Amino acid sequence: MNPEQMTEEIREVNLSYMLLARQMVQQDKASAIYRLGISKEVADIIDNLSHGQILKMVAANLLLCRFRIDDRLILEMLANNNRSHAMSQ
Amino acid sequence: MRNKSMLTESRQIQMASELIRLGARLQLLETETDLSRERLLKLYKEIKGVSPPKGMLPFSVDWFLSWQANIHSSLFVDIYRYLLAHTDSRGIDATIKSYKLYLEHVVAGELDCVLSMTRAWTLVRFLEGRVLKAVPCAKCGGHFVMHAQDLHADYVCGLCNVPSRAGKTKKEKQANPMDASKLLAA
Repeated sequence: MNPEQMTEEIREVNLSYMLLARQMVQQDKASAIYRLGISKEVADIIDNLSHGQILKMVAANLLLCRFRIDDRLILEMLANNNRSHAMSQ
Repeated sequence: MRNKSMLTESRQIQMASELIRLGARLQLLETETDLSRERLLKLYKEIKGVSPPKGMLPFSVDWFLSWQANIHSSLFVDIYRYLLAHTDSRGIDATIKSYKLYLEHVVAGELDCVLSMTRAWTLVRFLEGRVLKAVPCAKCGGHFVMHAQDLHADYVCGLCNVPSRAGKTKKEKQANPMDASKLLAA
């Protein structure tokens, strides 16, 4: 994958993410805050973003969404889980 | 009728029907709405097609501490606490939202729906009454439901320290009357 392709992919992910996030916030703010893991203030801003603003935000070479599981320990438990049967209950 | 406002009343009826669809018992509806018992009864019959179950609500505190129930309760409480901390949602509204998010999680993970709406509501009341408490696990840091009066300085949760026969009871294999996807779709 060359850099241009990469940027294009990132832009696409960003766009779907932002559109989904805004729709979620507009539909049910409380659940959206839980699902997106954002603060109420951020949710309010996303709620009021215009299409133009979203398009501008999206056209960056950075991903706008971040990895949710920021706890190394929890992630390790999920990744190297040899008791998956018991845990899945 | 205590209700003078039609708008308040229609909102309450809407909330009551949502609660009934999620499987709430009549006592819960009586506590959380100002609607009369007769109207709630009618509403219940109209939605469910059967009379509401009679008898007391499940009131056991220990139920929330048994292994599988504890994990499900803790998941629900985590969602609930998150909503309280980060949104304006409060009271029964927060309980309903958290319960729906819990159901979604159950559907997504193809798990058994262990926690009923009525139990979830009871759990919230136990938390508010300081009978139960969310305690951090010393190992993974996740918060789990525990007796408020227990010593929990180095409490280790049921997931970090899985009991040997966890989730292997016979009862587990029986058909579960609560189907989370149906509850959500209703």
